[in-house]
Amino acid sequence: MTTLFGTKYFFYIAASYGITAAVLLSSIVFVILTHRRHRLRLRKLEESGLRRGGAKS
Amino acid sequence: MTVTTADNTARAKGLTALANPTRFLALVRFVIWPLALATALAFAVGLWMSFSVPDDYQQGRTVRIMFVHVPSVWMAMGAYIVMVSGALGVLVWRHPLADVAARSAAPFGAAFTFLGLVTGSLWGEPMWGTWWVWDARLTSFLVLLIIYLGLIALWSAIEEPARSARLAAIVVLVGAINIPIIKFSVDWFTTLHQTASVVRMDGPALAPEFLYPLLVMALAFLLLFVTLHLAAMRNEILRRQIRTLQRKAARSARGGAA
Repeated sequence: MTTLFGTKYFFYIAASYGITAAVLLSSIVFVILTHRRHRLRLRKLEESGLRRGGAKS
Repeated sequence: MTVTTADNTARAKGLTALANPTRFLALVRFVIWPLALATALAFAVGLWMSFSVPDDYQQGRTVRIMFVHVPSVWMAMGAYIVMVSGALGVLVWRHPLADVAARSAAPFGAAFTFLGLVTGSLWGEPMWGTWWVWDARLTSFLVLLIIYLGLIALWSAIEEPARSARLAAIVVLVGAINIPIIKFSVDWFTTLHQTASVVRMDGPALAPEFLYPLLVMALAFLLLFVTLHLAAMRNEILRRQIRTLQRKAARSARGGAA
């Protein structure tokens, strides 16, 4: 790992892993936030008296 | 091995059971955390192996870019194959979750394609002396990104779910022609991109010290895709339930007003 630093290819390797990490972590965060938003919205709708087809009232 | 009618019936029942969104959501709740844990473990081992490999005799340290570039490219095509299965499910079997599966795979397919292009560029510049060439492999892969973005736009543009599902399914099946073009472009055309070195008729051409880290990273990417895809399918089901409830609310509001 330490041999990577100071190499002339460091930028290319670091950028590849950095961009990959950024995109994959953003995807994970996006999925988690979307899930929270949908659950909150669904709860609010159900609290207003609406019921899903399969849900027990 | 003989596959009996009872086996087929059980398999069909299993698929039908999963067509029920409530059962599917229960399954996702059960598997999502073990999958996430397995993904984290695979990435930890894969990254450790990736940075422990010796330098390649030709490519030096840049060979490490392969461990993120190749799995990204494989998953970009893998996500499209999932979408093709979903499209067939919509058009042939009319499976209720088929469109959900296809639609949920598209953003991750686009993300992996983007990563394949960017990491390929970052690998190409020091090795080929250029960030980009319009050769068959790179161009067909760019076309894949355009197809993904077009499909995401199509799904968002058409309000009526059944119509958008059918239209998108047709586009997915037409776009599937690009997958074998990407795979075989390096054999059919003269390209700057190298020919296949892992998935080959006569076995992988990679040395084991590079092959094993690559396979572990590919497993990590696959597990991440499966985890994210299941979570995104759950989100899409919730989105559709919200939509149904909002319509119900709008109908009762109209009924009350009349």
